[in-house]
Amino acid sequence: MVDQLGNGLLLGIIISVASVALSLLYSVTRIVNFAHGEIIALGAIVTLFFSSPVDSRIIYLDRFSPLGIDFILSAIIAVFICGVFGGLLEVLLFRPLRKAEVGNIAILVVTIGLSIFLRHLYLIFATGRVQNFPLELERRQTYWFVDMTPRNFKVLIAGLIVMIIVGILLTFTRIGKAMRAVRDSDELASISGVNSDNIILFTWISSSMLAGLAGIFQATINDVRYNMGFLILLLIFAGTVLGGIGTSFGAMVGGLLIGIFVQVSVALPFMEGHTEAKNGVALAIMILILLFRPQGIFGQKERIS
Amino acid sequence: MKISGKWIFTLLLTIFSVSLVFYLNPGGPLRILGNLLTFAGIYALAAIGLNVHFGMTGLLNFGHASFMGVGAYVTLLLIPHAAGREGEISENGLPFLSALLIGIVAAALFGLLLGLPAIRLRGDYLAIVTIAAAEIFRLLVRDLESITGGVYGIINFSSALQKYRPLFFDEFITELELAPAQIWVGLLSWVSIFFTLIIIKRLNQSPWGRALRAVREDEDAVRALGKNAVWLKLQSFMLGAGIAGLAGVFLAFNYGSVQTTLFVPLLTFYVWAIMILGGVGSLTGPIFGSIIFWAIISETDKLAALIFENADGQQLAGVRFALVGLLIMILMIFRPSGLLGKKEELLLNVK
Repeated sequence: MVDQLGNGLLLGIIISVASVALSLLYSVTRIVNFAHGEIIALGAIVTLFFSSPVDSRIIYLDRFSPLGIDFILSAIIAVFICGVFGGLLEVLLFRPLRKAEVGNIAILVVTIGLSIFLRHLYLIFATGRVQNFPLELERRQTYWFVDMTPRNFKVLIAGLIVMIIVGILLTFTRIGKAMRAVRDSDELASISGVNSDNIILFTWISSSMLAGLAGIFQATINDVRYNMGFLILLLIFAGTVLGGIGTSFGAMVGGLLIGIFVQVSVALPFMEGHTEAKNGVALAIMILILLFRPQGIFGQKERIS
Repeated sequence: MKISGKWIFTLLLTIFSVSLVFYLNPGGPLRILGNLLTFAGIYALAAIGLNVHFGMTGLLNFGHASFMGVGAYVTLLLIPHAAGREGEISENGLPFLSALLIGIVAAALFGLLLGLPAIRLRGDYLAIVTIAAAEIFRLLVRDLESITGGVYGIINFSSALQKYRPLFFDEFITELELAPAQIWVGLLSWVSIFFTLIIIKRLNQSPWGRALRAVREDEDAVRALGKNAVWLKLQSFMLGAGIAGLAGVFLAFNYGSVQTTLFVPLLTFYVWAIMILGGVGSLTGPIFGSIIFWAIISETDKLAALIFENADGQQLAGVRFALVGLLIMILMIFRPSGLLGKKEELLLNVK
């Protein structure tokens, strides 16, 4: 059980970061973004591309040879590229749709199409095989009560720091307040001088940067695959829903709980020999929450219907 | 049926895409056409089921693969089959037709089971719940290896259906240098489409169908008139799930084996693409949507060959799926009513 707790915390922090990003976007734009997973994968793939040694045949096609830059620098570049990508999605795709007053359900279906499209572009152009970041193998150590490698421990700490920063930004800064204002009422926010287009653009960018970061974390702990984002997407939905859809702090806690739950459930007696089904348990929890407490742990009831 | 520009365009496009397949495959176009029409029939049937959910009732179902899966697995497990790695053939089982009937009912009941709690949820929540439930179903089937064969799946069940194949049919099909087993499955699926459409057309014109459309347009008004809107939605969920179950059975027989990898979310998205292409809420739309869709899919290999010199299997699959995603996006943005749908009947502006 304790062995799994470390894994649970790691998965939890990744889902947590990704859930905050998803929740932020949903709360401001009301878009359930099924392409969220593909932005996660983009973060990992771009990092892989920048950081892999020049002579490795890491990327699918020969004409894209890796760049071999420092890993941390690559990760930072990747996060920014994800932000730019998210901004482009808003400006080129979702803003025109919003201006044309396309309904939310249609936009949801568009994000599903986008998700399938991007994921298979990665398969074609980026990586069909399972790849690893060019990082050395490390030995596990004991930190307080959990065993993990130093690198994974750094990921855990980095994830926590990111959460704290996001929390502070949302609560105290002007832009955080403006985001909450647009969430509560688009029109009222415009009347009080908030440019809601800019706020939504900023939300897309920050949400995509967080998603890319989550992807880099995920790939550091595990590996890079073209469909890595889609594989984790439903767990992110589960984390978001558990915490209360549209609440950023709820998404943080919900994501963490889902991650811990998925990994710890492996150690439960009735799950013996059924480790493959562990995600199913988390999804079942999500469905139960939606049915009996759709506002989640931290959500407010009036935001739901 | 009124002949309008929409209809003429759809027919021309269908004829064009099928003749394109002929043109691009000079050696043995019949074989490819047989394959195409079989797949198109099976998926059209699934899309008709989805259209009952989304087109007729406005339910955002993204777990269609699980309904197909329940139908397929229940039917296959009841007829003689071999499951799992060792794969011993169980000789005794029900006759095909009764197993099929139970399979369809099981899929409908699964629809009821899923719909009973989920139907009260708002659109986007329903989408998340259905896709999650479909994943739970798939993980469960993979986990229960002793019954369902787990990742190894089920094989050796084809004869239960193929033994009903008449002799003259075999002779005729073999003469055309086609695979009789596949064409038989395809033929049966097209026959099923015919009868399913007749039933749905009747239902559509009945008071029940009108009430269902009223639920889609304004649920509160239906309630105020004393109709049970939740029960109506559940009936629609069961009907569509049952049709999907039938399609799942044909899909299994077309492949000759099933694994859990068959019923992944991508299968659902394929069916969605076909439904949107044909026209949301249109009765016959899925048929044309499916034929055109599969004509595109079957020729993507040639498109991939234009882009890559030596494309491997993964890249070919990638091109195919990327096209499906693009198709869904473009249709949803520029023509959400598809080829034959009615724009005023679209339920896309729900907040």
